[in-house]
Amino acid sequence: MMAIREQFSKTKNFNLISLGLMGVGLLSIIILFITHGASGDHRMQARFWASLLQNSVYFLLVTNAAMFFIAATTLAWGGWQVSFRRVSEAISSCVPVLSITTGIILLAIVLSDNHTIYHWTDTEHVKHDKILLHKAGFLNKGFFIVWTIITLVGWNLLGAKLRQLSRKIDDRPLDNAGAKKYIWDNTVWAAIFIVFFSLTVMSSIPWLWLMSIDAHWYSTMYSWYTFASSFVAGIALITIFVIYLKNLGYLEFTNEEHLHDLGKFMFAFSVFWTYLWFSQFMLIWYANIPEETTYFEPRVEGAWNGIFWLTVIINFLAPLLILMSRGAKRNYGTLTFMCILILFGHWMDFYQMVFPGPMKDPETSVSHVPMMLADLGIGLGFVGLIMFFTARALANAPLIAKNHPFLKESLIHHT
Amino acid sequence: MSLLRYESQVRPPLVEGHKDYHQITEDICRPVEAAPSLLWWIGFGISVILLLFGVFSVYMEVTYGVGQWNLNKTIGWGWDITNFVWWVGIGHAGTLISAILLLFRQGWRTGVNRAAEAMTIFAVMCAGQFPIWHMGRVWMAFFVMPYPNTRGPLWVNFNSPLLWDVFAISTYFTVSLLFWYSGLLPDLATLRDRARKKWRKHMYGVLSFGWTGSTKHWQRHESLSLVLAGLATPLVLSVHTIVSFDFATSVVPGWHTTIFPPYFVAGAIFSGFAMVQTLLLVTRKVLNLQEYITIEHIEVMNKVIILTGSIVGIAYLTELFMAWYSAVQYEEFAFFENRANILSPYGWAYYIMMSCNVVFPQIFWFRKMRRNLYVTFFLSILVNIGMWFERFVIIVTSVYRDYLPSAWSTYYTPTIWEVGFFLGTFGLFFTCYFLFSKFFPVIAIAEIKHILKKNGESYKENMDEIEKVSVEEFADHHVDKHH
Repeated sequence: MMAIREQFSKTKNFNLISLGLMGVGLLSIIILFITHGASGDHRMQARFWASLLQNSVYFLLVTNAAMFFIAATTLAWGGWQVSFRRVSEAISSCVPVLSITTGIILLAIVLSDNHTIYHWTDTEHVKHDKILLHKAGFLNKGFFIVWTIITLVGWNLLGAKLRQLSRKIDDRPLDNAGAKKYIWDNTVWAAIFIVFFSLTVMSSIPWLWLMSIDAHWYSTMYSWYTFASSFVAGIALITIFVIYLKNLGYLEFTNEEHLHDLGKFMFAFSVFWTYLWFSQFMLIWYANIPEETTYFEPRVEGAWNGIFWLTVIINFLAPLLILMSRGAKRNYGTLTFMCILILFGHWMDFYQMVFPGPMKDPETSVSHVPMMLADLGIGLGFVGLIMFFTARALANAPLIAKNHPFLKESLIHHT
Repeated sequence: MSLLRYESQVRPPLVEGHKDYHQITEDICRPVEAAPSLLWWIGFGISVILLLFGVFSVYMEVTYGVGQWNLNKTIGWGWDITNFVWWVGIGHAGTLISAILLLFRQGWRTGVNRAAEAMTIFAVMCAGQFPIWHMGRVWMAFFVMPYPNTRGPLWVNFNSPLLWDVFAISTYFTVSLLFWYSGLLPDLATLRDRARKKWRKHMYGVLSFGWTGSTKHWQRHESLSLVLAGLATPLVLSVHTIVSFDFATSVVPGWHTTIFPPYFVAGAIFSGFAMVQTLLLVTRKVLNLQEYITIEHIEVMNKVIILTGSIVGIAYLTELFMAWYSAVQYEEFAFFENRANILSPYGWAYYIMMSCNVVFPQIFWFRKMRRNLYVTFFLSILVNIGMWFERFVIIVTSVYRDYLPSAWSTYYTPTIWEVGFFLGTFGLFFTCYFLFSKFFPVIAIAEIKHILKKNGESYKENMDEIEKVSVEEFADHHVDKHH
């Protein structure tokens, strides 16, 4: 009989790397704090906090996207992804720790007396700013804090429920009736997750956390765009962990057919991201209304120009050309490279969403690009954190959801 | 070789009634081979009458000019463009089913794809009428073609989304037609081989392009399907995206908003599925095909309806929120006065749209309702009314009261010839559909056979044995080892 290695154990190297990366992150935070955060100048401080904001929000949304992937495939009654379902679950179990981190960072920014990142927190200024005064019903500290907390608690509770449902049948094979009931329960909870997800990630949360940095500006596409960016990165994260486990000889039931489909997802959602990117950018460029073009002005004509177009090259051109062929999507090396590239590309995308606002000189209204080394370091710290907690979750549960009614379909999956 | 035909018992069968290959051919060919029923003649007759009324309406418009319509100084687009967008949107479900669901390997598509693709083609044919006859001097229609010409340096405006529409929709139509027709080939050959009368044999012989069913034919057929699916997927997204650009590239409040492209696509699929439900609920009953278009199919499509309806709903709310959040008074006026104010002249239209597209479809959260044929039929009609009003609200309420109150137009109501033209496209649509359902198999015979051994009722019963073995045993016996 085929032997299955159900129990994952962390290798020494993996631990070392994840702890090392966290060390790099911590060191970067300390350095950036000394050079900027501890400064008395509000703009210098904001540069420090913007980095924490960008990194924490990005990685929180990316890990939460793993739960979205589970919920979406559950709702669609997908079978193929069951063989590596535990990987997505493990990634999503980083959401609690990242939620706490992000929550603290957001609260610290909103409650501080430094209003460089979120202008609208400056109540004195808002009194004289007609537009911000108009928006005060939405952009105010009270609503921000309450909705942020509700959102974070909601993601965590619903995510935990879906993970618990998955673990519940590990020692309990199901008969036909039980299997039907089980799929039904999962579908119901996945639907609740998706509804909550769309009321948060696909609408209100990106407006509050990110779009309000450029507080005067608005775009109806913004939240869907943010979702697309974090979702494709989430798929990349799942893929890279699947490949890692395959390379160690785990996940016997997952093969290149599954990776091929993950590759298709990365390809398709990279194109989807581009579609939303193009729609938002082109429509604002074409209509050329000053209130709307202010957002793209520093990004396209200012110092951010290089980064702005680089994200399009990395997040669109590269996946389009490299992941087009069948072979590439079935090749561990190519896929690993693309996963890292996509995770970096969307990190960069979030970078250009967050920083141009806080980096703007209030005198001249010119925004400049900061030295990014420390931000990258902090990003690596988050990567280490995700590695650490994902591996811990992987080790805590069997690697295969053995009694899932669709597992056998996943075994014989072919593209 | 891994086991090819297995699926979980949790999934209900997609072909009911213990069919074998021969029975499938018999069931689906029967309506094509039998003489048309009285019901068919009545339906066909009504459609042709409607079509003729449409032809006459268009004749009036061409002869006496666009003045025969009630378009006026600010409402340059009224019923015509509303109908255009509505029909184009309906077409989208066919491509989603045939192409995108093929890429997602959804077995249930085989029961409904043929009719849905046909619907796509007819809907796009109807849609295309509106911009063409809206031109007024329709004999100049060829001006939209960009080619070196003798009209001096007179070129089409490549910067205009209206021109992009010409390219998008004609390409889309071409690919949809190819996709549908190449799928028909094996079935047409089946009809040819079964034909008793000489003229039938000859007709289906010509139509089936000499299909023999050889392995080589099948192999090419499969790769062609995949290539066309790959082409059709970005195309279907592009079509409604570009239709949305017609509005969103402008600076008109209510038209210019960045969410338009994906939200238009979602709305298109939403209305298209509603139309598929309307058509198939009747078709399956009249042609006695309930075992192929099962309750399961209906339920799955209702799930698509609630999904896309909710996406549209969240887009409506996003627009409304952003109109306020933008703090632009014109945006606020367009949304809160011209639309959401129920007492404003067109307020009623906005609430028809909201209730039909967002509120009523929520009933499909309940499984019982998704599987209720009457509820489904009724709702599918409501959704299409709602989606018509969505386009009407977008087009008319955005332009009838703009920046300059002196230009505010009088209340716009269509003339008989505008209504007649719209009814005429229904005539065209249903005339085509009736002919299609008489001369072509409304279900893809070959594709149903393709899923039979996996999703057919008797085959599923035999899988119960496999269902009971442990996953390790299953892996030992049924899974490829070389991975």
